[in-house]
Amino acid sequence: MNEQKVPADVPAQVEDVREPDAAARRPAPKNGARRAGIPGGTAGRNLGLVVALAVIGVVGYLTAGGRFASLDNLMVILSLASVIGVLSIGMTFVITAGGIDLSVGSVLGLASVWATTLATQTMADQYGWIIMVGCALAVGLGAGVVNGVLIAYGRVVAFIATLAMMVAARGLAELIANRRTQIVNVDSFTDTFRGDLLGVPKIVWIFVVVAVAGWFLLNRTTFGRRTVAVGGNPEAARLAGIKVRRHTMYLYALAGLAAGIAAVMMLARTTAGSSTNGSFYELDAIAAVVVGGTLIAGGRGTIVGTVLGVLIFASLQNLFIQNNLDSSVQLITKGAIIVVAVLLQQRFTTRSSTG
Amino acid sequence: MRRSTTPALSLHGIDKAFGPVQALSGVDLDVHAGEVVALVGDNAAGKSTLAKIVAGVLSPDAGLIEVDGRPVTIPSASVARSLGIASVFQDLALCENLDVVQNLYLGQELRRGRSLDEAAMEDRAREILRSLTSRIPSVRTPVSVLSAGQRQTVAIARTLLGDPRLVVLDEPTASLSVSQTAEVLTHIESLRDLGHAVILISHNMTDVRAVADRVEVLRHGRNNGSFSSAGASYEEVIAAITGASRPTAVAG
Repeated sequence: MNEQKVPADVPAQVEDVREPDAAARRPAPKNGARRAGIPGGTAGRNLGLVVALAVIGVVGYLTAGGRFASLDNLMVILSLASVIGVLSIGMTFVITAGGIDLSVGSVLGLASVWATTLATQTMADQYGWIIMVGCALAVGLGAGVVNGVLIAYGRVVAFIATLAMMVAARGLAELIANRRTQIVNVDSFTDTFRGDLLGVPKIVWIFVVVAVAGWFLLNRTTFGRRTVAVGGNPEAARLAGIKVRRHTMYLYALAGLAAGIAAVMMLARTTAGSSTNGSFYELDAIAAVVVGGTLIAGGRGTIVGTVLGVLIFASLQNLFIQNNLDSSVQLITKGAIIVVAVLLQQRFTTRSSTG
Repeated sequence: MRRSTTPALSLHGIDKAFGPVQALSGVDLDVHAGEVVALVGDNAAGKSTLAKIVAGVLSPDAGLIEVDGRPVTIPSASVARSLGIASVFQDLALCENLDVVQNLYLGQELRRGRSLDEAAMEDRAREILRSLTSRIPSVRTPVSVLSAGQRQTVAIARTLLGDPRLVVLDEPTASLSVSQTAEVLTHIESLRDLGHAVILISHNMTDVRAVADRVEVLRHGRNNGSFSSAGASYEEVIAAITGASRPTAVAG
């Protein structure tokens, strides 16, 4: 329904947006036909993703049998998906509002390092795991606020501001860790975040909570509604009384906070803080968000789609590993999936808008 | 014509210059509740400038603005809104990607607890659209699939959320088809019947004669005649717009 937001490739429709008379010339019955057509909208897209996920499941079962289709392996896939999943939830908000955050992977690394320094761990031994978690979240949030202020008030293009943060945060992480891996020795932390709860890894539960909270925030609150509006038409949002700059700042802060949460999960999974943690995760997150159906140009976002996108990539990765396939093949497939998903999206939106 | 004695909005001697260009000089305008006043004039006559002053987008260099008889200043759009002045500008400022309800309530969403109260917003949106006798099929239609006339309806409906005293419409029928224009004109009549004061800025004399109670002509930033819609002939108004007559000659 938001086809006008796919700009470069459908210039004719972009014209429609600006010229009321052009829109007026569009015959009315078309609208009815479009609504009755192929299951458009978010539900239809999500259905497609579920089908894709099912296909991966069937292929996995046929090629790797019980090794793939087991409860244990499902938990492995979910754990794999969780860290990137939390990053992707934050990324969904930023992209829905028409922005981008390239720094989340590096910020994850920085937060994981900062939360495991000797000083932090010594304090955590004394006061409990909350010190490490608080440290990781504060680092994530802090980096996000810096991004947000640069972009919203400094008028730096999001791509550039977060690219700078990506490089700088990685450098700072290396400096703090001195390029060594810092093992987590705080028992209260490992006791709290490692292991299972009701048969499901605790970090998967964290992902579930973040995803549900993200869904509520995007679909059921003024914050979410305004995020979509800012992504659709920032000028209209401003005229409607929305403080667009402040809102933009919050969005990057949110993405940073998500990176902080993901850092805690990473520490729980690997029990080590390292400056290389989270390398290229930002790209995985962006891929999952876009495949999930959120428009890269902004104006439409879906948390359910993002979760499905994350699960697709995680199960695909697992599928390749279970079949002992080279990781290079996996990367090529991943690239192909991104392209196919975007092409399908455009095909559907173009078709639906031309009747 | 139902007229209260105190005008809902009263402008006296408004001046506005942009650098060396005098856009408005000594303009007077009164609008009463339940009255549609058409503001007409050629391009660059100062119509939109006056509308922007009323909307709080521009501030006048001199002159007095009264709302319900009280002198006010309108330094910003949000002050205008709190004074009960709602404006619909030529670029409608809607979010294409949102539906009708979402656009109506953008920036002033209703909430129940922490979450959006969709049901209440939907009900109220239907109510407002019905009061405008609108033909938008569903309040959940995305604005991107609406016609230009329907978009205009949404923009007008949005002004009604705050229950304004005065609605300013800047060229609402420009670039609309005949049937869409008729639809929008119906909305304007609905606005008047709901007791709002309406300023209609337009080039289109047919529209103006169809809905306006009074026609105020601006020429080169000055008042150039006031006509009661019933009494004025088309030629007289056109003459005032183009300057073929002096205001004293046609005072109506």
